[in-house]
Amino acid sequence: MRGHESVHARHKVSRIWLSLTLALLILAGAQQALCWSLKEAAEPYRGVTIRTIGEALPPLEALDKLKDKFTKETGIEVIIEQYAHEEAVDKVMLDLNSRTGRYDFIIQPHRELGRFVENNHVVPITQFVENPKLKDPNFHPEKELYTNLWKEISWYKGKPYGYPFTAITMFLWYRQDMVNDPKEKEGFKAKYGYELKEPEDWQQYHDMAEWFTRPDKGFFGTAIQGKRHVALWYEWLNFLYSFGGDVFETSKGYEYGPIIVNSPEAVESLDYYKGLIKYSPSDTLNYDWDGVMAAMQQARIFECIMWNDATYAVEDPKQSTVAGKMGFGMVPQGKGGKVGQVEGWSYLIPTGSKQKEAAFLFMQWALQYDQQLFQQLNGGASPRPDVYANPEVQKLAYTKAALQTMEVAKPKATFPESPQVTDILVLALSDALSGQKTSKESLDWAAVEIHKLLGDRAPMKYPVK
Amino acid sequence: MITGWRRILLDKGVGPLFLTPSLILLLALLVGPFVYMVVVSFTDLSFAIPNHTGNFVGFDNYRKLMRDDPLFWDSFWTTIRFVTAALSIEFLIGLSLALLLFHSIERHRIILTLILLPMMLAPVAVGLMWKLLLQGEFGMLTHYLREVGIFGAQTAPLSSYTLVLPTMILIDVWEWTPFVTLVLLAGLLSLPREPYEAAIIDGAGPIRVFFDVTLPLLRPIIALVLLLRGIDAFKEFDKVWILTGGGPGSATELLSIYTWRINFRNWDFGYGAVVALMVYLVVLILCSLFYKAMNLQQGGAK
Amino acid sequence: MNRAWRNFAFGVIIVVIVIALTPYFWMFLTSIKTRAEALAGSPLWFFRPTWEHYPEVFIHKHYLPLVKNSVVVALSTTLLSLVAGAPAAYVFARQQFAGKEDLFFFFLTTRMAPAISVVVPMFLLFGKLGLLDSLYAVILAHSSFNLSLVVWMMRGFFEEIPPEVDEAAQIDGNTRAGTFVRVLLPMAAPGIAATAVLCFILSWNELLYAMILTAFESRTLTVGIPGLVTPHGTLWGQVAAVAMVATLPIVIFTFFVQKHLVRGLTFGAVKG
Repeated sequence: MRGHESVHARHKVSRIWLSLTLALLILAGAQQALCWSLKEAAEPYRGVTIRTIGEALPPLEALDKLKDKFTKETGIEVIIEQYAHEEAVDKVMLDLNSRTGRYDFIIQPHRELGRFVENNHVVPITQFVENPKLKDPNFHPEKELYTNLWKEISWYKGKPYGYPFTAITMFLWYRQDMVNDPKEKEGFKAKYGYELKEPEDWQQYHDMAEWFTRPDKGFFGTAIQGKRHVALWYEWLNFLYSFGGDVFETSKGYEYGPIIVNSPEAVESLDYYKGLIKYSPSDTLNYDWDGVMAAMQQARIFECIMWNDATYAVEDPKQSTVAGKMGFGMVPQGKGGKVGQVEGWSYLIPTGSKQKEAAFLFMQWALQYDQQLFQQLNGGASPRPDVYANPEVQKLAYTKAALQTMEVAKPKATFPESPQVTDILVLALSDALSGQKTSKESLDWAAVEIHKLLGDRAPMKYPVK
Repeated sequence: MITGWRRILLDKGVGPLFLTPSLILLLALLVGPFVYMVVVSFTDLSFAIPNHTGNFVGFDNYRKLMRDDPLFWDSFWTTIRFVTAALSIEFLIGLSLALLLFHSIERHRIILTLILLPMMLAPVAVGLMWKLLLQGEFGMLTHYLREVGIFGAQTAPLSSYTLVLPTMILIDVWEWTPFVTLVLLAGLLSLPREPYEAAIIDGAGPIRVFFDVTLPLLRPIIALVLLLRGIDAFKEFDKVWILTGGGPGSATELLSIYTWRINFRNWDFGYGAVVALMVYLVVLILCSLFYKAMNLQQGGAK
Repeated sequence: MNRAWRNFAFGVIIVVIVIALTPYFWMFLTSIKTRAEALAGSPLWFFRPTWEHYPEVFIHKHYLPLVKNSVVVALSTTLLSLVAGAPAAYVFARQQFAGKEDLFFFFLTTRMAPAISVVVPMFLLFGKLGLLDSLYAVILAHSSFNLSLVVWMMRGFFEEIPPEVDEAAQIDGNTRAGTFVRVLLPMAAPGIAATAVLCFILSWNELLYAMILTAFESRTLTVGIPGLVTPHGTLWGQVAAVAMVATLPIVIFTFFVQKHLVRGLTFGAVKG
């Protein structure tokens, strides 16, 4: 019995040791967590200047106002170059390809990510995330960010390359005051047989567009972004998806797959889209985002599909005559059910960056709640759920619709040729809208061109004779 | 008194001495990049597609241009139409205005400065300015044209497949006719008097004088202004790009816009180089023809 | 010329001036309207002006340094093109050598270079030389197309000066170079003025080279214009304000050298 007792005793001792060790480890971990501070982490980089580039819009302007806070704590200067959408992309392409190493981190549209990764222009952030000196232990992006948004915007082929700067989507804008107007309600019900309300499917959208088109009063049902411009592609995608179509039959953005852009569903969606021209103002084929926005602001249209990050402009009484009269909802549904799209600009770190660690520290800091809240209230589109839960943000009229749409967002193609694919589609759509080709002809043409571009990686599921 | 080798340099050697700086500048800035362009046209260089780092592909790009690119040829003919129409109208109006100014008004200075205004604003700003005027909903000009009945109630020139190219041509006419007027007026002002006096003595009326004296004497200047405008019109980019982006469809897809798309959207420099070389070739041929005409006439006029 | 003809001519001139000026006037009005007024369905001619757009774009958006950049670039390229081009023009005007006209034509062909394709190798070249952070890259690029203009125009001006003037100066003991500097340049001063104005205008208004070859801090004013066309709306008031400020210096310059501009554009193709 002596041996048995001593084993028991030994177990007891080792258990004590175990618990002690565990306790010590936990304490040490907590100590480290308490110990990690931005200031200390940034110490080796004090005095350095990091430069970035992005699109000159309110979120970036807000970031520009915030950056001094970062500099005060870390001693790292931040320069933010603000350019128009296309120039911001062009300058980065030129810089990355000529390896001038001008930018220490960049903010780019997520569709460009494939191009950057496949050409070895950006580095995954895993190396920084796994570095305890750099990683903020209180920051858990996998829990604190909308995962689907993070994956869509900043991940490629299973690796993270940054954090989302903005995560935006398109949804429905409409004049709520007109929907609530008793006279309109009466007349509409009499003609169409159902209540005038927020349009939930394409039939309703069409009926309301028809009902509200009154050219002699200078008022139209809707407006489409019909200019030969990337805005056209973005807008049509909403229709394409909700009619049950897509461009490629893949589940991930970086995969190549069969081309289905000329499927019967796609043709149907384009026909429907074309049909909206007659309910749109005269210049709708020269409208990009600006045109539709202006039309709504100047009380010329009843409904449209627009970006959620532009809603502040239509709610701003200084530039909009319909501020306070707007309603927002999800994109109307069709056969495809509830769908949306996600578009985002992502923080990325170029391979040629000379201050990768300092840049990572800034990125990480910018994703914290305080900074994100400030950006959100100044026109931003944060990827953090807790920001959307904030009461101030909740008061913004468009928050709910944006959240609903983001939940059902479909991924977009992000492989390196995708911007070229978009260009082909923009031309095809413009040809169809201008009446030069039928919907089927233009989408067939697009399918053929896309296939020529991508080769066997993207066979045509609906071959063209 | 400068002597010795320095004198020879500054005197006999003045030719090479004075030509060298400009030649060096041009060689470095233009000939260099041009040669680069030619070399790249035989490669697959692309900033977007991985592994297209400039591998030699022979004449593939050239073959593609000649056989497999209807979009290029569409934009080629669109550009030809644009240049021909714009140049003809600018010339006719410019010549008429120049003659008018030459024959009747003394106080040229202020009037000319005012007339020259259209060409002083950056072309990209001219584009935006005309968008403001022609836009379907808030465009000032469109509004009045509809009221007067020239436009239908729903006509919007920038959204109309048929109206958009003529609209671009008219904007170009607005922007550059002053320049043509100016050059032709300058030409008229420096014509010799003797042929005119001789014609009047011969009893010729104003129309005969115009066709038999003015026009032949003016031919070198006319060729010159058409040459300069022609080259620039072929390269037209800024205002069309910002107004329509080449649309609706491909109605205003000029060669420069097409080239820009290949180079800065697709980042396909290999193919872009061939397109650019093709455009350059066309302009070169047209200019050579004009230049020959100009030189021949110069010999004749003397 | 009889009365009726005069009045007709006058009428036509008035119409032409109205056509030339109205778009500008409308742009000016837009620069002092609010956004809602600028986008009104019926054109507004009378309203209470607001001057907010000017400080908004030049001070809050920091566009004032862009004006300075434009001025520096335009002046520098004009100077560089004149210094390199005028002597070359002299050679074409006064000297004879085999292939002279062919070389002259070569100078013209440099204008034909499609900027869109040339700008990328230029970008790569300047990048390697480290010139992209400064204004040097744009200045050089603009000089590449201004040079041919200078050579073409100045040749005409020099050819208008009788060769006897050269001979007289040489009898006085001047070298050819000396004659050029001391006698011909001063006599061709009006032509130089005219050429300078054209070079300035072309550089000031240029978009593509300026966009690609400048760094953020060295952007010119013209480059700042497309930036005002945003996905959230074209900032018409600011666009108009920038356009107004962009046109002013040129109008002033042109008014003063206008007489010489007229003479200068003969390009010496027709002798008086």
